[in-house]
Amino acid sequence: MMPFFEQLAGNLVYGAILGSVYGLSTMGLSLIFGVLRIVNVGHGPFIMLGAFTAFWMFTLFGIAPVISISVALVLGLALGFVVFFAVIKRLINAPELSTLLATFAIGIFLEEVAKFIWGPDHRGYSWDIGSIDLSITLIPYSKILAFISSIVIAYLLYMWFQKTKLGAAVRAVVEDSEGAAACGINVGRIYALSFAIGIGLTVASGVLVTLFVPVGINPYMGHEYTLKAFVIAVLGGLASPWGAFYAGFIFGLIENGSYTLLGTIPGVEPFSLTRFVAFSLLLVILLIKPTGLLGGESK
Amino acid sequence: MSFFDKYASLIPVLLIYVVLFAIGILVPGMWQPVAFIMFYITLGQAFNIFLGLTGYVDFGYVAFLALGAYGMAIAVESLGGANLGFGIILIGLVLAIVMASILSLAVGAVALRLRGAYFAIATIGVNEGFRYFVEGARIWGGSEGIIISGAMRNIFGRETANFISTFVSDILVFIIAILAAIVTVLIMNRKMGYALMAVREDEDAAKVMGINVTKYKVMAFIASASFAGLIGASAWTLKMTYVFPSDVFLITYTVEAIVIVMLGGAGTLMGPVVGGLIYGILKYYLSITLPGFQLIILAPLLVVIVIAFPEGVVGALKRKARGNARKYLR
Repeated sequence: MMPFFEQLAGNLVYGAILGSVYGLSTMGLSLIFGVLRIVNVGHGPFIMLGAFTAFWMFTLFGIAPVISISVALVLGLALGFVVFFAVIKRLINAPELSTLLATFAIGIFLEEVAKFIWGPDHRGYSWDIGSIDLSITLIPYSKILAFISSIVIAYLLYMWFQKTKLGAAVRAVVEDSEGAAACGINVGRIYALSFAIGIGLTVASGVLVTLFVPVGINPYMGHEYTLKAFVIAVLGGLASPWGAFYAGFIFGLIENGSYTLLGTIPGVEPFSLTRFVAFSLLLVILLIKPTGLLGGESK
Repeated sequence: MSFFDKYASLIPVLLIYVVLFAIGILVPGMWQPVAFIMFYITLGQAFNIFLGLTGYVDFGYVAFLALGAYGMAIAVESLGGANLGFGIILIGLVLAIVMASILSLAVGAVALRLRGAYFAIATIGVNEGFRYFVEGARIWGGSEGIIISGAMRNIFGRETANFISTFVSDILVFIIAILAAIVTVLIMNRKMGYALMAVREDEDAAKVMGINVTKYKVMAFIASASFAGLIGASAWTLKMTYVFPSDVFLITYTVEAIVIVMLGGAGTLMGPVVGGLIYGILKYYLSITLPGFQLIILAPLLVVIVIAFPEGVVGALKRKARGNARKYLR
């Protein structure tokens, strides 16, 4: 029995670390939904772009993933502005169906372009800087750095929201876009900026995701993260980036905890069943409290 | 509206089916492309009953196709020794409908309480969750799937089994397309059609007017899912003679269904037919001339449609059409 608890404890530690990256990777989705009321159904492919950024920075220039985060952030911001002005801007007042379809199509387009350029195969790199022995489990330093990076980025974003004028303007638009416009806030510009920041965060989180994928990265890796991000975003109330960040931790713990528990049932594949648990959780939350477990606003 | 006016819109649709069928039978070598195009028309027809009539987008639609495919595979696999002949295909089709409608009832009862974005998120979750359940709990062969080619040969003999997979399955798709068109018109002409139109325009207002919104949405959902089940059973299982979860739960089919309906015009009878024709022909020749490039072309196409022609081809034509022409375009 003891080895089981040791394994569970080890997996939960790992779950918390992974959860911080999950949280970061969902903040962009929640920010975009909070400000623009658009669900980015093509969320995962942006994570994939970040993963490829990390891969190429490392294999071509030997740059450590922790440093590639800033490169990915800049690329993501640029891409976010391009997508906003090319597509999203024209759909701000369109029915919800239109934005769902458009973001979905953008995601598929990114995947196919990535497949065209880099091929469909899995690629991986290994950034080995040693690990720390927690006696119950071995945690590589690279993952600890990912954990710290996620928290630092989330904290910086929080400070930007709370302490700067622009951050306050974004919060005002989330609260009431018409009221914000009446107060002289250029709502269109806030939309563009928020969308770009949302995409930037998402691409940046993709860099950290590479430190956790055992089989390597490929153009279609994003799907999994789209779905996880939905579960996490819904857990966190969908419209709140901070809710999403905390929900990421919860999700990481549930995922890794249930993996350990399901592994004890004979005759099943715990890996697939863990995902089933995640989606069941999604449906249950949507059914009983669609505004998210961590509070969130009423609509 | 007179009886003729109500059902006049079926005439051009059925005419197109007849022409396609004739081309396939009479022109040598054309049966395969015609069946290919017909699959997409039928998929669009089935999906349109839900997306077109309710305005809700189901990103997990392919799950119903998959369940239908499994229904047929299970029927053939488990009743293969029972000496039922062609009756087994009938049982498979019924099982496909039953399984698809049970899932749609379960999903509909939960997800259709949700609106827009929440509904979309829930449906994506259902599809993936169900797939991982099949793989994880190792039901229906788990990730190895079900292969029925051996059972089909045992039941029907090599030649008939071949005939079923290359011809009968395609004929079934034609029949499903006809049935889906008729059901669409029947819904449009009834109280349910008007109720759904009201939901599409303004769901809150419809509710206030005393329309049982959830009931009609669930009904459309089940009807649409049942047709998807039939398509999965015939165009997938009978044609391919195998079912793998990684293939049948592929999100691509959902995307294709959405593109077809939006391209042709959501909520119109003719829309999926036109959308399916354009999409099917395009894809057939693209897959010959530029294999592997379908999605890279389709995705921007979908964005352009959504921004520039949200009503689709038929929607735009319908707005321009006058008098008599209008009743044939619905």
